[in-house]
Amino acid sequence: MDKETQLKLQAYLDGELPESEARQVANRLAQDQEHVALLAELRNTRQALVGLEIGMTLPESREFFWSKIQQEISRGETATSTSASATGWTFWRKFLFPAGALAGLVLAGLIALFGGSEFSTAETAVADPGAFTYHDFSARTTLVWFSYPAENDIADESPTATVP
Amino acid sequence: MSGKDHSSAEDPELVRRAQRGDMVAFEELVARHRDKIYARAFSMVRNEEEAIDLSQEAWVKGWRRLQQFQGEASFGTWMTRIVINLCLDQLRKQKRHRTESIEEMDEESGGVERQMPVLTINPTAGLERAELRRRIDQALGQLSYEHRTVLILHEFEEMEYKQIAKTMQCSIGTVMSRLFYARRKLATLLADLKKNDQ
Repeated sequence: MDKETQLKLQAYLDGELPESEARQVANRLAQDQEHVALLAELRNTRQALVGLEIGMTLPESREFFWSKIQQEISRGETATSTSASATGWTFWRKFLFPAGALAGLVLAGLIALFGGSEFSTAETAVADPGAFTYHDFSARTTLVWFSYPAENDIADESPTATVP
Repeated sequence: MSGKDHSSAEDPELVRRAQRGDMVAFEELVARHRDKIYARAFSMVRNEEEAIDLSQEAWVKGWRRLQQFQGEASFGTWMTRIVINLCLDQLRKQKRHRTESIEEMDEESGGVERQMPVLTINPTAGLERAELRRRIDQALGQLSYEHRTVLILHEFEEMEYKQIAKTMQCSIGTVMSRLFYARRKLATLLADLKKNDQ
């Protein structure tokens, strides 16, 4: 029996043949025992699979399985909102850096004019233009001012911190 | 909405509530369909841990895509399609990482199944359901994932050749060949198991 005939016989079993071809196969089956035997084997295999998955259960309790799904859903939603807020921060940072630098310069100027002693300096770190340092050597005070919030998880967990 | 209300509600109602963000309604849907989704994943990947992970992933995906569910098919069918696609992705990835066996190459080139003698005795006749399941499980595990998947989609999902071809991204001819091979090979494996037991 050639491959095409075998596949046609299978399609006949699966109800995938057009009526005219199905009739031809039925006629052939009436005459050929080899066809009948192959069809019976294919039918037996198909029959053996019926209902095989019935009674198969997930080996985890309802609560435990759901808790894992819920956790994953929450994690995904947190990641989405963090990513959205990060995008927003990236947008505002473009404006905050120049504004921060300007404010730092104004502050340094005011301190120098009105309150600063001759032993005080105000400077901007070359490595980080968003950070300003004010030293008052007479008062032994150093003030570091960042014009942006820190970008890490610790900062997210404790958004405000006061150093006495 | 109480838990009792959810357990008595029909699937479409629960889906509508879940689409509005009601997690309790979604949890009820998970409880109702989780065994079927797991069974489908297990039949395809043949590994308990992997099947649990994939069915969990399917539920998370289901929640995220819930707005896309329009109710053309039943919710259970929609979820089953999600898990089938996840399993297929997983199996394709795994296949890329392993060398094809000589047997698989033979299967793909075709012809092996034609040399298998036709079985005149039904190798599953008279077997208890549990024993039959054990033997079929064993035999299914010996098929390549392509052949097993075609068989599962046809026999368990009752998909037509055309739908299987679309799902597996191959031609209808390939589906027919793979299904034919899978059935014949399964019959031979079941006969071998019977012989070994005697």
